[in-house]
Parts: sequence; C-alpha cells; structure tokens
Amino acid sequence: MYYVAKVNSEMCSTYKCNMCTLYCPEPNTLMFDKEHKHGNDHGTSWVDEDRCKGCAICVYVCSDLLNRDCIEMAMVTTEEA
Amino acid sequence: MSVDIYKINPEFRDIMPKDIIDLEDNATWGVEKRGISDLTDKKELLEEHSLCAGCPESAALRYILTALPKPEDTIIVNSTGCTSLMFPHIALHTVHSLFGNQNAVASGIKRALEWRFPDKVKDVVVLAGDGATIDIGLDYTLQSFFRQEKITTICFDNEVYANTGGQESGSTPKGQVFKMAPKGKVFDKVRMWELAVTSGCQYSVKLTASAPKSVAKVVREAIFIARELGPTYIHLYTPCILEIGLSASEGLWEMKEQDKDRFVSFKYVSDEAAAYLKELKKIRSSIMSRDTSMAKDSIKIRMPALGGQGAVTAAHIAATAADTEGYYAVSNPFFGAEKRMAPSESYTRLATVPIFDRGGSYIS
Repeated sequence: MYYVAKVNSEMCSTYKCNMCTLYCPEPNTLMFDKEHKHGNDHGTSWVDEDRCKGCAICVYVCSDLLNRDCIEMAMVTTEEA
Repeated sequence: MSVDIYKINPEFRDIMPKDIIDLEDNATWGVEKRGISDLTDKKELLEEHSLCAGCPESAALRYILTALPKPEDTIIVNSTGCTSLMFPHIALHTVHSLFGNQNAVASGIKRALEWRFPDKVKDVVVLAGDGATIDIGLDYTLQSFFRQEKITTICFDNEVYANTGGQESGSTPKGQVFKMAPKGKVFDKVRMWELAVTSGCQYSVKLTASAPKSVAKVVREAIFIARELGPTYIHLYTPCILEIGLSASEGLWEMKEQDKDRFVSFKYVSDEAAAYLKELKKIRSSIMSRDTSMAKDSIKIRMPALGGQGAVTAAHIAATAADTEGYYAVSNPFFGAEKRMAPSESYTRLATVPIFDRGGSYIS
C-alpha cells in the first residue's frame, strides 16, 4: 500500500489552472486532459498512478497556494495501482 | 510533432513500449514554439527515474528540457551526482563526464561539432551539481569561461554533497550542519554567479526552481546568447530535502522561502548580450505581427532556371528586400557550365533567426 495523488475532476474542471501539472516533479505523471479522455467533458488534471511517487507537492500547490482543494492523497494497494 | 531521430521501424512498432511510441507521436522536438505549456499534455523528453519523491532537481530538469530551443540538436554534458540518476532517462544525446571536468568535455564537444557541422546550430549545455561545478570542477568551469567557450553551464545547487551522505560543499551556507559535517561550515558560501561575471560570462543568473516560467525563460536566453557570443551561467537552487530535514512536499516551499533570502534574484547580462536579446525580440515580434505565414522560423526558396533568365538576380533581390525589412537572408547561386542558357539554380533563405546553412536547398 502506498499514497498517490487523486484529482477530484469535477472540481478541477471548474478551474483548469494546470498549475499542479507544472509543479509535479515527475515527468508525464500529473497531466491535463485536453481531449476529455479521463472522465470529464470539460477537461481536468489527472494522475498516472503507476508513476506517482506520492510526494504531495500537487496538494501543497492546489490547497495551500491556490486554496482550491481539488487534489488529495489516497492510499492504494498494488492491485489498484 | 517528431523528428527523424526518433522514427520507429514500422516492423517493430507493435512491440514497442507506449513511452517510446509517445516520443514519436507526441514529443515536442522539431517544433519552433516549445515551452512550459507543453508540460501539461505533451510527451516529455525525460522518463521515469530514481530520484527521491518530491526532489526539486527533478522538477528543474523538466523545466530545462522543455525550454531547450532545439532539443534534437542539443548535447547535454553532465557529471557525477544525484543528477546523474536522471540523465540515462533523457531522450537526448547526453555525455557523462568524469567528476568535475564537465566543462572541459563540453568545450571539446562544442568545438568538434562546429567543425563537423559548420552549417548547423548545435547547442552544448552542461548540467552538474554544485560539487562538480564549484568545488572539484571549479578549475574546469572557470577555464571554460576564460576561453569564452560558447556553452551554457547550469549548476544545480543543492548546497551539499547529497548522494554521498551529506558532506559540506563550497556552496553550503556558513554555519550549516550536515550529517557528515557536524561542526557546521566555517566559511561563506562561494558566490559562483559573481565569479562567472568576473570570469567573462556574457550572462549569469541566480534563481530558484520555484517559478517554472522564469527558469524556462532564463534557459532559452542563456542558450541563445551562448550560440552567438560566449559562455553563459545559470545558478539554480534545487534543495536536497532529505539532507535539510524536510518532507517530500516541502521542497517548493523551501525554494519560495529562499527566493527572499540566499537566492534572491541575481541577473547579469553583458551589454553585448543585452543588445543581442533585444534584437532577437524585435525581429521576432516584428515578423509575427506582420506576417503569420512566417511563424516557422525560416523559409527556403529554390529557383531553377537557365543562364540569362535572371534567377540569380531574382534571388539576390529577394534576399536584399528581406534584409531591408529586418529579416535574416542568404542567397546562393549555383552555376553549371558558365554560359548563356546553361542550367542554373539559385537558393534564397529567409529567416527570423540567424542563418547558418549555405549551399543548395532541395526542401522548401
């Protein structure tokens, strides 16, 4: 079991600020879905959970710096990930 | 868009990993307008690596790679350190030098490339930690500045020898205690960004990696200046969160704090470099506002003709007109037998950036 970032796509799609995608230290891990392939018709950030190392910088950016609270850390098992 | 260096053999496409196919389909090389906004949805040139969770160095490398003006023609030289955990995972030409001599290796590579590819722009960028740049490699770093080598040096300053257990470096601030430096450092942090100026760098900037757009802008400016004028230096604070006792999520906070303290912004641009940047900006904005068809940075015109028809004169007039309007222009004639009605060709190149190609042009 380990932590990964989970994006609340409904809330995220109301802002579409992309800031978390810039500050995530890992490449191609936290991205913005412009083509609406990840469950939201308005575009949202999404996480490739296999790549997420669980640092929670995205939570710091979204909640502490921007006060938007669209991302949280959640425990996943290896079966889910 | 992709370039030919990452063409997958069609016979093997069905067995290639998705990450490699993405590099061909969705990576931003061969594209004039690259930048930070590509980080949201384009395939990056950096792959999964083994740096610690939340490492600011990793974020900094994302910004640097996305800011390279021509990644397909860029050689990265690096040295031993935490950064060397990332370099095998970059989809670019990289050279791992011996510890400390990265600027000497980069100088040789740059000179060899200029000799081997006189018509092409090849950028050489050094990426190394503070130990390699400022301590063990200081001699090589400064000598490359003295020699006015046309390379860009980027120092990832984490203020410690992190991957060997936490010894102090010249870049460690005075008084700092580490696991392997229990008494605290007794002398001041070496001000490498100032040494770079006095050693002849055309451009020297100190900043943290807390602002992605600022990092990208500085990297592009440094590379453009290094191409034309001489050495450029970027001193980038990327703290080692483990060695200074922070959690994985606190690296960004630490950099923002240091934006106001040890890493308050420093920027030196020589008069010559400032004039060059101004000229680049003027040319780009002038061309973009007048003619959107020039969004591509250059066009090539090939005029096949017979001797006496005026193709050479036409090419010369086109180049002169473009030059008068503020573009870069080159025209070359090609003559076969020098007599009237013999086949000849003329080539004109027009661009928003300096032109290094000469000779025949067969693709427009």
